[in-house]
Amino acid sequence: MRTSRTLGLFMIAPASIMIFLFFLMPVVLTAIFAMTNMSTATGISGGAWQVTQAAVNRLKTDLPELADGIAEPRFIIDEEGLKELETLKLKPGFAAELRAEHMGEVYPSRREAERVIKALKDRPSTREVKQISDLFNRSVLNTRFETRDELMANLKKLGFDLTPQQQDIVARATYTGWIWTTDNFRIISSSPDMAQIFFNTAFYVSVTLLLFNVGYALFLALTTHYMQASTASVFRAIWLLPRITPVVIYVLLWKWLTWDSGFISTFMSQFGYPPKNYLLDTAYNAWFFVILINGFIGASMGMLVFSSAIKAIPQTQFHASEVDGASRLQQIRYIILPQLRWPILFVTCYQTLSLLASFNEILLSTRGGPGKATEVWSLAAFHTALNNYTGNLEYGLGAAMALVLVVVGIILSLIYLRIFRYDTLISKPLIED
Amino acid sequence: MAEKPQPSANFSSLPVILLLTLFSLPLVLMYAYLFIDTISETPVGSLIPNEFTLRHWSFLWQTKTGKPNIWLVTLNTFIFASCITAVILTVASMAGYVLSRLNVPARGFFLAGVMVLHAFPSVTLIIAIFIVLQYIGLYNSLIGVILVKAAIDLPLGIWLMKGFYDTVPWEIEMAGIVDGASRFTVWRRLVLPQIKPAVMALGLFSFLTGWSEFILPQVLAPGAQVQVLSVYLASLIIDDNNFDFGTFKAVGVFYVVPVLILYVFFQKHLMNIYGGGTKG
Repeated sequence: MRTSRTLGLFMIAPASIMIFLFFLMPVVLTAIFAMTNMSTATGISGGAWQVTQAAVNRLKTDLPELADGIAEPRFIIDEEGLKELETLKLKPGFAAELRAEHMGEVYPSRREAERVIKALKDRPSTREVKQISDLFNRSVLNTRFETRDELMANLKKLGFDLTPQQQDIVARATYTGWIWTTDNFRIISSSPDMAQIFFNTAFYVSVTLLLFNVGYALFLALTTHYMQASTASVFRAIWLLPRITPVVIYVLLWKWLTWDSGFISTFMSQFGYPPKNYLLDTAYNAWFFVILINGFIGASMGMLVFSSAIKAIPQTQFHASEVDGASRLQQIRYIILPQLRWPILFVTCYQTLSLLASFNEILLSTRGGPGKATEVWSLAAFHTALNNYTGNLEYGLGAAMALVLVVVGIILSLIYLRIFRYDTLISKPLIED
Repeated sequence: MAEKPQPSANFSSLPVILLLTLFSLPLVLMYAYLFIDTISETPVGSLIPNEFTLRHWSFLWQTKTGKPNIWLVTLNTFIFASCITAVILTVASMAGYVLSRLNVPARGFFLAGVMVLHAFPSVTLIIAIFIVLQYIGLYNSLIGVILVKAAIDLPLGIWLMKGFYDTVPWEIEMAGIVDGASRFTVWRRLVLPQIKPAVMALGLFSFLTGWSEFILPQVLAPGAQVQVLSVYLASLIIDDNNFDFGTFKAVGVFYVVPVLILYVFFQKHLMNIYGGGTKG
């Protein structure tokens, strides 16, 4: 522990473990899940083999005969059924005769099986016939098999002799668990819905970024720069409110503002406009407010970064420009903006990433509505995988959509890393041990 | 720069103040009504309240049907935010020191990794994390969501801590070493006290982000027993049967007041971190 090497490894271990568990592993797992068709229906652990009605329907196209056969009940006189019959305390003659005369026979329908049972010498009553025939019902319909072999053995017992190729088809149709597939990416690249969501995202990120995260932030920084320090700090505090307010309350405030009994409606009704929900009535209004909601939060970071960058500009430059008779716009254009190039680049990179991933505000305000007008990529991934109306959560497809964001995120953050050359940030330790 | 009065029109601040006031009006209005509406009744179609009431605050002493007790929820939120703060401070103060000072292999690589992760949109990982928590049985538990949230905020914490340590002069450590202290003792006894204000700022920041977090608890721990305030409030709002902005806002005020108090008292500390590169 006395050398910095062992101490360093010891001290960085917790951080490494947490980053490994909650960043690296999820990234890898997102990639893995993206290659599956996992959903609520398939479960997330392994599945079983089950001949459900849906599976029979799937089989109909490839193996129509088999599909019809499987769906029918089948009756087999076997040892298992006979043993159960013996325990039923009916006349012992039933079991004895069935064993002697009909052992191993397969009847494709209940009627045929019951005819045989009715013909027994001991003359079972109608109720008994029914009771006995049930014992020999060996239909695979809706029975759960833990392994594929078990299913195939049972099918064979029922008299279905399948070639290995047919067995594959049956296994695929009846498997209830998830399987490996690349369908998710096919859906993403070909579905028109996805294209719409992609354009929504591009629109949302670029407009919010341009107008608010950079544009309005710059405006805030510049205007507060030309104010008394105390006045400026009041405005900065106001504009930091959206960021520090918990997002649920912040969006609640906007809902109140735009609700049909809310502020805007009440205010406009003074001028004779009927009240309406301004947030959700048209796609145009929904976008307007979604961008405002996110923009107001985003503006504060740029405001602080730009303000401190402006503060770092030597005062003498402003005084000199005063002497030369520069107007305020000229000061902004020729003194401030050129020196804000790096902060602007920083904020742009950083906020692009955050905007791509942020769906909190949209989820809470419009939920992607009206219709799917304000559905953006990250929200769509969330809706697909974790929260949708149909109830079948498609983890696989959602993970594939998230993977697209992860890849974009990694690429953009690597660019970010290159721009802000991190190697200048590491200094060599001055104590060598 | 406007401290001393200047003759030039460039330093007249009136137009910018007017302009900015106009822009800030919606925000000010929203926050003013947030407080006003919780203690008053407003007739339909009007904006001016006409009656004082405490009705909206009844959620404090009456548990709503189908909703968990507000005090349990508040306790959960407090535990959630405090644990996150504790984890981040402990882990980041150690890792930040290593990245700033100690000679470990792949230090540069790790630093680059932290910087990338700090900008990386971690919410995109929520689907994988959700499935992992289900596998290992930490779904719907506070521990699971605390670990996830702390891990997601960790890169920023490490990054800031590294910056804080960079400002501590080497001479302090050298003096410690010369006096025979180990590197660990030097860190614990000499370096850490130097950056106490910075540690406090990071702690506050972590507490506030934990207190405000919505999407992680909503997805990873939505159960009634482990609900936090953000999830509680969101579930109130989404419930169409009892639509009552007064109550929503009362819960909102109850939820936001601790944040505002901390913000007012520690604004200076927090500004540095919010500007220094947080997400959002």
